Amino acid sequence: MVRPLLLALFEVKRFLADRGALAFSIALPILLFALMVGVFGGETSFNSTAHVADLDGGDAARKLIERIEDVDGLDVRRYTEAELNDALDRSAVLTGFVIPAGFTTALESGMPTTVRVKRRGNGGDAGQITAAIVQGVADGLASEYELRRALGTLVSDAIPPEQVEAHTGVLLGDARRDPPVRVVNQTLNEESEEEDILDRLLPGVIVMFLLFSVTLNAQTLIEERRNGTLERLLTTQLSTGQLFAGKFLAGVSRGMLQTIILLVLAFVVLRIAGLNALAQSAVLALVVSAAASAIALLIATVARTEDQATWGAVFITMFMTVFGGTFFPIGDSGVLELLSRFTLNRYAIDAYEGILGETATLGDATFEMALLGGVAVVCLIVARVLFRVSSEAK
Amino acid sequence: MAHMEAFLAATGLTKSFDSVQVVDSVSFTVRSQEIFGLLGPNGAGKTTTIRMLSTVLDPDDGDVNIGGHSVAKESDAVRRLIGVCPQELALYPELSATDNLVFFGRMAGLSGSQAKESAADVLERVGLTDRAKDAVRKYSGGMKRRVNIAIALMSRPQMLFLDEPTVGIDPQSRNHIFDTVLALRDEGMTVLYTTHYMEEADRLCDRIGIMDEGHIIALGTPAELKAQVGDADTTTLEEVFLSLTGRSLRD
Repeated sequence: MVRPLLLALFEVKRFLADRGALAFSIALPILLFALMVGVFGGETSFNSTAHVADLDGGDAARKLIERIEDVDGLDVRRYTEAELNDALDRSAVLTGFVIPAGFTTALESGMPTTVRVKRRGNGGDAGQITAAIVQGVADGLASEYELRRALGTLVSDAIPPEQVEAHTGVLLGDARRDPPVRVVNQTLNEESEEEDILDRLLPGVIVMFLLFSVTLNAQTLIEERRNGTLERLLTTQLSTGQLFAGKFLAGVSRGMLQTIILLVLAFVVLRIAGLNALAQSAVLALVVSAAASAIALLIATVARTEDQATWGAVFITMFMTVFGGTFFPIGDSGVLELLSRFTLNRYAIDAYEGILGETATLGDATFEMALLGGVAVVCLIVARVLFRVSSEAK
Repeated sequence: MAHMEAFLAATGLTKSFDSVQVVDSVSFTVRSQEIFGLLGPNGAGKTTTIRMLSTVLDPDDGDVNIGGHSVAKESDAVRRLIGVCPQELALYPELSATDNLVFFGRMAGLSGSQAKESAADVLERVGLTDRAKDAVRKYSGGMKRRVNIAIALMSRPQMLFLDEPTVGIDPQSRNHIFDTVLALRDEGMTVLYTTHYMEEADRLCDRIGIMDEGHIIALGTPAELKAQVGDADTTTLEEVFLSLTGRSLRD
């Protein structure tokens, strides 16, 4: 058992020393997945600038501007009134805000006041959203001033105004930092059964590139048969069975390495799943890698030339990728559904999708795992029967 | 010097591929601590014979005894005694010479430390210590040939099979390989050597067997073979070879 393991470790070392294989097996899937995330799954956050002319210069105006700046995704750019008008005239700015002189005095005395919103046309989508945000911030600020003023009037006989101001300031500050009513974002598909496209794309990319590596593994084995290294190994203490087992384990190790790297990256960068899901995915990866490695051995055993191995592996990989639901849902019936039953991808992706989406566990994927394991066993048995290290060697 | 007792004895070796008889009842012995040359035109059956001798191919008939063990019945024991350098550069080019050697050493049954120690020894013997850590793909043809031989020496075998070890290399590397093979013989190793270069066989081999069409058609020391054809002092081994195997093209 030691020699097959040594052989597998050696093959992993060869894999890591081969920049082409590394780029193909690891860098390309990362790149593809990054592109897919960019196209299908990017974060949709709002970013804009509030263009403000402060004609008041008082405490309330300063607070209003500071609180607008505190809003996520919103910056403040300050202007004089003339500069703001000029920018609006040139359409360099579509929406501007003017804090009028006397703004602070009005708030402190409980008199009505305004923040004027100047628009070019409808102000643009971002301008309209920014105006709504500014309206909300101004309402909150006005309420605070109103509360302070009312409270000060109410208890002015019993408590000194400075003490009232200090206490209300602390309470209002706390309320701003930890508001009693929070608006919480909730992604719809986390609670519903609607499918997140990334939950399917990641398993799809992982399985697709694992199958691509079948081509590399099969080619490598044929190349070794041609250059005599396999036959040479048979003049050492290695038996044909050990050689076969070592090559199988090597394929599994490479597949696992490739998959784990992609899963960990997805976990770290995209927070796509929890640690438990990651661990369960690693177990699933072992079974999927075993199936892929066994298929590669079978192709390499049946093929007589590198070209035969390449085209055989490409056909099988493409068939499974296209009809296995890698890029689009399969549906519950029809020809696609029927064809998908003959692909590893369907079962592997379904199992990964459930585990990574944290809607299922390994236990729920028993059928898929058994089927993938069965494919591995059948391919291994056939490949072992047909396995040869050269065209004539025993 | 060579002893008289046989270290390898092939008896009635026969092999066919797709009803083509490639090796037909070949019998010969290789004496302990001698360099035995196996010569023959392309397709004569030399490589098939070596593959049967080195446990890779099962003969259809006949057997080989190496160091007291039957290749057919005790192939594991035979493999402990032999080192094989095939005609092809059977190496992993993306890895260093040391990595290649240690790997084949481990597969030959050496422990990790033994394999590293042996790798250092054989690299020094083939003159590649300075380039031990370089990837083999960066080596010249001659250097690759030397690594190919070094791998066969990793388990310190008692018998070495060298199948055309000097193909396509410069005279310096070829001479280095000659010196290595002669040194190994002098240290007690038995060597079976195939080549197409007659002057090489003349210079290295204690005895030579000439194969053609699956048969051994002549066997003896270089001087004995030359004497079969003409004057042993003036006849070349190439003249002997052409005289015995004919001048018609074989490829």
